[in-house]
Amino acid sequence: MTNAIEVKNLRYRYPDGSEALRGVSFSVGAGERVALIGPNGAGKSTLLLHLNGLLPERAMENSAVQIAGDAVTPANFSKVRKNVGFLFQDPEDQLFCPTVFEDVAFGPRQFGLHGAELAAKVGAALAQVGLTGYENRPPHHLSRGEKRRVCLAGVLVCSPAVLALDEPTTDLDPRGRRELKALLRELPAAQIIATHDLELVVEHCSRAILFDRGAIIADGPPATLLADEPLMLAHGLERPHILSHHHPHSKT
Amino acid sequence: MNPEFIDRYSRLDSPVHKLPVGSKIVAALVLVLGVALWPAVPWQLFGAVGALLLALMLLSQIPPRFLLRRLLIAEPFALSIAALALFQPGGWHIFLVMLTKSTLCLAAMILLTATTPFTDLLAALRRARIPVVFVTTLALLYRYLFVLADESSRMRRARLSRSFAEHRAHQWRALATVAGQLFIRASGRAERIFAAMSARGWEQK
Amino acid sequence: MHIPDGFLDAKTALTTGVLAAAGLGVALRRVRETLPPQRLPLLGLAAAFIFVAQMLNFPVGGGTSGHLVGGALAAILLGPAAAVVALGAVIILQCLLFNDGGVTALGANLFNMAVVTPITAWLVFQPLTRFIGRRTAVALAAWSSIVLAAIICAGELAWSGRVAWRLVLPAMGGIHALIGLGEAFITTLVLGAIAAARPELLEANAPIRRREVIGWGLLVALGVVLFIAPFACPWPDGLEKVAARLGFEHHAANMLHAPLSDYAVPGLKSEKLGTILAGIIGTLAVFVLAWATVRLVGRKNAEN
Repeated sequence: MTNAIEVKNLRYRYPDGSEALRGVSFSVGAGERVALIGPNGAGKSTLLLHLNGLLPERAMENSAVQIAGDAVTPANFSKVRKNVGFLFQDPEDQLFCPTVFEDVAFGPRQFGLHGAELAAKVGAALAQVGLTGYENRPPHHLSRGEKRRVCLAGVLVCSPAVLALDEPTTDLDPRGRRELKALLRELPAAQIIATHDLELVVEHCSRAILFDRGAIIADGPPATLLADEPLMLAHGLERPHILSHHHPHSKT
Repeated sequence: MNPEFIDRYSRLDSPVHKLPVGSKIVAALVLVLGVALWPAVPWQLFGAVGALLLALMLLSQIPPRFLLRRLLIAEPFALSIAALALFQPGGWHIFLVMLTKSTLCLAAMILLTATTPFTDLLAALRRARIPVVFVTTLALLYRYLFVLADESSRMRRARLSRSFAEHRAHQWRALATVAGQLFIRASGRAERIFAAMSARGWEQK
Repeated sequence: MHIPDGFLDAKTALTTGVLAAAGLGVALRRVRETLPPQRLPLLGLAAAFIFVAQMLNFPVGGGTSGHLVGGALAAILLGPAAAVVALGAVIILQCLLFNDGGVTALGANLFNMAVVTPITAWLVFQPLTRFIGRRTAVALAAWSSIVLAAIICAGELAWSGRVAWRLVLPAMGGIHALIGLGEAFITTLVLGAIAAARPELLEANAPIRRREVIGWGLLVALGVVLFIAPFACPWPDGLEKVAARLGFEHHAANMLHAPLSDYAVPGLKSEKLGTILAGIIGTLAVFVLAWATVRLVGRKNAEN
C-alpha cells in the first residue's frame, strides 16, 4: 500500500533567502498518527504548508512531496488538496464564510458538489463533530472550541486521506481539548500534527518527529523520544509530566 | 458602538422573522421607495404606514428600546440637515416632510434588518446577480468586522493601560499606531485566509 | 455624510444611482483584471479595517471627538479600483446592517463616499507626492477628498429641492473643511505608522494605465458638473428653468421660484465662502486635467 505522505530531500528557502527546510525526508503510513514537535521557528508550519503546495513562490516542478502517490505539483493541486485536510492554527482564518453551513460547504463546492447532495454531506460532517443544528450560526457567535470543530467539519467533509493539523489544541480550554482529542481519535485518516501540546503527543500519537532548524533531529515512539530530557531541553522542549505518571520508575 | 449589538435579535422566532426573506425585502423596498420618492405628501397615508410599522414592530417581539436606540443613532445627521430647511420660506413644511419621510423609511429598514439575519440578505444579493467579487467582499467584511473590532479594542486597551493622562498629540499618535497595526494585521490575515481558501480547493476562475 | 431616505428626489436618486453603478462597475472590472488572486481576500479585510478604523475616536477636546472616514487611506493603501470596491462594501453594509444612510440615497452615498472620496484623494495624491513630499500630499489628498465629497453631497440635497444651496453649501462645506483637517491629520499619522512598520505594504499595488486615470477623473468631474456647477455658475436661473421644465416635485419648484437672494443666513457670509469653495474646486479640477494631460503627453513622447 502506498504511503499517505512521502517526503524526499525537501529543501526550501524563504523569500528573504534564509533556509527554512534543509533536506527533509520522512514518510507517514496510511492511518498513522505522527507528531511534529520542536521549538518555535523550527519550520514545522512551513513543512506542513508543503503538503498541499501552499507556498506560492515555490517552483513545484520536481516536487519532493507525494500525497497518497500523487506528486504535489500545480497540475495535481485539485486532487492533492482534496486529499489533504488542513487545519490552520487560527480558526478565525479558516472560518472565512458568514455562516457555518457556507463554511463547511466551501470545500465540496469547489470540487463540484451542490444541492441536496451537498447539504447531506455538510449535515453528516457537522454530525461527526457534534454540531448538528449549527448550520445557520455565524462564526462570531461560536465558542473557541466550537470554531475549531467547525473547521474540522469543513476539512472532514471532503474525506481526506491525510490530516495536517497546525497547533490544533492551542487556545482551547480543557474541555475543548478533551472533545477535540476524542474526535481525532475516531478518524481513520493519517494525521500529522505540529504541536507544543506534549500530552497530546503522548496520548494520541504513535510516533513523534523532533524537528529543529529545518531538519529532523530524531524520529521515534513518543514515550522514548520525550523521555530523553537532555534532547528535549536542547531543542526548547521539556519532558512532559504525564510521562512520570505513566512510568513511575523511570529515571528522574 | 459595539457591532455585535446590531445582530442581537435577528434570529428570534416571531411571525415577522418567519416571513420569507424575498418578500420581506420587496415589501420594505416598495415602502421605502414610495414614501421617500413620491412627490406628493399624503399625510393620512403616512399615518397609516406609521401605524402598520408600529404594529409589525410589536409583533416582532424585539424590545422597543432596542428599536428606538437604533432609530436615534441614525437621526442626528438627518435632523441637522433638515433643520437647515427652517431658514428658508416654507421651511417648516419642508422640515416636517423630510423628517417624517426619513423616520418612516428608517423604521421600515430597521424592522427589515433587525428581523433578518444579514447572511440572508447576502444570499438575496447573490441571487440578484450582484458580481461575485463584490458579494464575497461584503461577506468577508461582515465576517471579519467582529474579529477586527475585537482586535482593535484589545490593542486600544493595551495602549491605554500603559499611558497616563498623556498629551493629546500622544493620544492621537497612539491611536494612529493602533489603526496602522490593525491594517498590518488585517493584510496578514488576508494572506492566511487565501491559504485557507486554497487549501480547500479554491481556484480563481 | 450619510444621506437618509426622504432627502433626495427621484431624479437625484436616479442620477446618483447611475453614477455609483458606473463607478462600482468599472472598479469591479479593473479589480478582476488586475488584482492577483492572493490579494482578493484583502478587499474584504481592508473593508473591515476601514469600518473598524471609523469607530476609533480621536479626542478633539471639549468632550467631542473626530474619526476617520477613510477614503484617502483606502485609495493610497489599495489603489483606486480596489479602494472603490472596499469602500462600496462598507457603505452598503452600513446601509443594510446598521441603517446608516437611506436606500433611495444609496446611490448618492456610494457615489460621494465610495467613489468621489477615494478617487479625488488618489488623483491629488499621485502627482503631488512627487513634488511636495509624501506627508503633505497625503494631508492635501485627504482634506480635498472630504471637502469635495461634502460639496457634491450639498449639491445633491439642493438639486433635490429640499434645502437651498446657499444654506446647505456653507453648512456642509464649512463643517467638512474642519472635519477634513482631522481626516488629513489622522490619515497622515496612520499611513506614517504603516510606512514605519511595513513599508512594503504601501508599494504592493499594480501600476495604473492612463486610460483608467482619465476614466476616474471624468467620473468625478461628471459629479462636479451635475451637482455643483449648476449652482456655482453665475446664471442662477439655469436650474430654475430646468426644474420648471422637468416639473418634478411641486414643492421643490415652489421653493426654487422663491427669490433665492432674499435668504438671510444669520452669522454666515455664505456668498463669500461659496465663492472660495468654488474656487478650490475649480483649481482642483483644472489641476487634475492638467496632470492627466502632462502624463499623456509625457507617455507618448517616451514611447516615441
